[in-house]
Amino acid sequence: NALIGTPADCQHCPCPDRTSCAEIAQTGQVVCTNCPAGQTGIRCQMCEDGYYGDPLGQSGSARPCVRCDCNGNVDLNALGVCDHLTGRCLKCLGHTEGEHCERCQRGFYGDALNQTAVQKCKACSCSPGGTSGYVNECHPHTGNCLCLGHVTGRDCSYCEMGFFNLQPGVGCERCRCSPIGSAS
Amino acid sequence: PRPDVHPLPPGTHLLYAQSGRIEHVPLEGYEMKKDAGKAVLHLPEKVIIGVAYDCVEKMVYWTEITSPSISKASIQAGEPTAVITSDLDSPEGIAIDHLSRTMFWTDSVKDHIEVASLDGSQRRVIIDTDLVNPRAIVTDPPNGNLYWADWNREAPKIETSHMDGSNRRVLVKDDLSLPNGLTYDSQSSLLCWADAGTHKLECTHPSHGDRRKVIEGLQYPFGITSFGKNIYYTDWRRDAVVAVDRHAGKESDMYQPQKKTKIYGIATAYAQCPAGQNYCAVN
Repeated sequence: NALIGTPADCQHCPCPDRTSCAEIAQTGQVVCTNCPAGQTGIRCQMCEDGYYGDPLGQSGSARPCVRCDCNGNVDLNALGVCDHLTGRCLKCLGHTEGEHCERCQRGFYGDALNQTAVQKCKACSCSPGGTSGYVNECHPHTGNCLCLGHVTGRDCSYCEMGFFNLQPGVGCERCRCSPIGSAS
Repeated sequence: PRPDVHPLPPGTHLLYAQSGRIEHVPLEGYEMKKDAGKAVLHLPEKVIIGVAYDCVEKMVYWTEITSPSISKASIQAGEPTAVITSDLDSPEGIAIDHLSRTMFWTDSVKDHIEVASLDGSQRRVIIDTDLVNPRAIVTDPPNGNLYWADWNREAPKIETSHMDGSNRRVLVKDDLSLPNGLTYDSQSSLLCWADAGTHKLECTHPSHGDRRKVIEGLQYPFGITSFGKNIYYTDWRRDAVVAVDRHAGKESDMYQPQKKTKIYGIATAYAQCPAGQNYCAVN
């Protein structure tokens, strides 16, 4: 307030990079009106939508506002894709999950970080007859299901060489071919 | 009144949301008075998405996603009042029926459309199936119709229903990509949309089923609103409000606010409620 008549009438705006501010008459509260790019809030302490960080270090050490990092697993046309403070991704797509959409959801496998794959995370879809686990339980990267004895294939859908007759809950039987009459 | 906000002078204005603020730019005829653009409301902790205007009480309504809520304030630099604060995840588009005194909004996480009285009471879900990324929503109060767009990348569409959710139909589904913005002009009965994927602005008379391209080569439209022969859209690439002359089929003007950050929803604040069929005015 320039009308009081003391040397401290006009003070610097408490805003980053000497940006402008305004004082609310009733409350005396000072609000920054031109925060630097990517920043917003009364003191420019917050990151804009699509960015995260803690530019003034209000909850720990200061971190500049940077773009949400969701490993390409969020839609650029979506809003509110990450938490503006922690950066936790809130709208992971394509069956990905995690702080940065960095892994496949349970029941899916693949490489959530592969930027070229059409489908990064595929359903486990284990063969119900050949798995000893659940049909939606597989190795998160390879997709290998838990197979019954002498059953093989990523999804446990067929018998190992030398075995036949896949029986649900049991597995495959050894071939009993006569060594004299067999070609192999 | 706060020094950082300004009551709106009489006349027609565009209201748009940018970086925790609702700003306005006055329209003189169809011209944007760029040097007269100012903040109507400063809400520094908020990310404001959808903006709608109630021409009866001269109030602006908006959706906000940081602490998901719907609020309102008088455009005469009134204090913001929260209207809905619970059971919202990601409210985006908002529309007002000034005749029946109700508002409608989309929620892109709950994937539904709700209605409530303008004071927040009598709240009800009216559409909750077959929505993936609902965003824009607009009303046609004289005819009691509702229109909305879903930018679902697998199957984008523009739909309509009565204001209670009944008589739901798909209006447009072919050659759509990311229909972010939707506007209905009751004078011309035109429903127009801006698509950030096809980069086109197109219109249809919902009752005729015709479809006409107004302009192509848009950059990244988000919100749109109409006023007479003009359509104004917010552009995420240029951080601007762009005027399109619907008759000439070209961009006629552009307003780039000082602040270089995304501009979200936009609404026309009419000097008076639109003339024409108005069954409440008759009674």
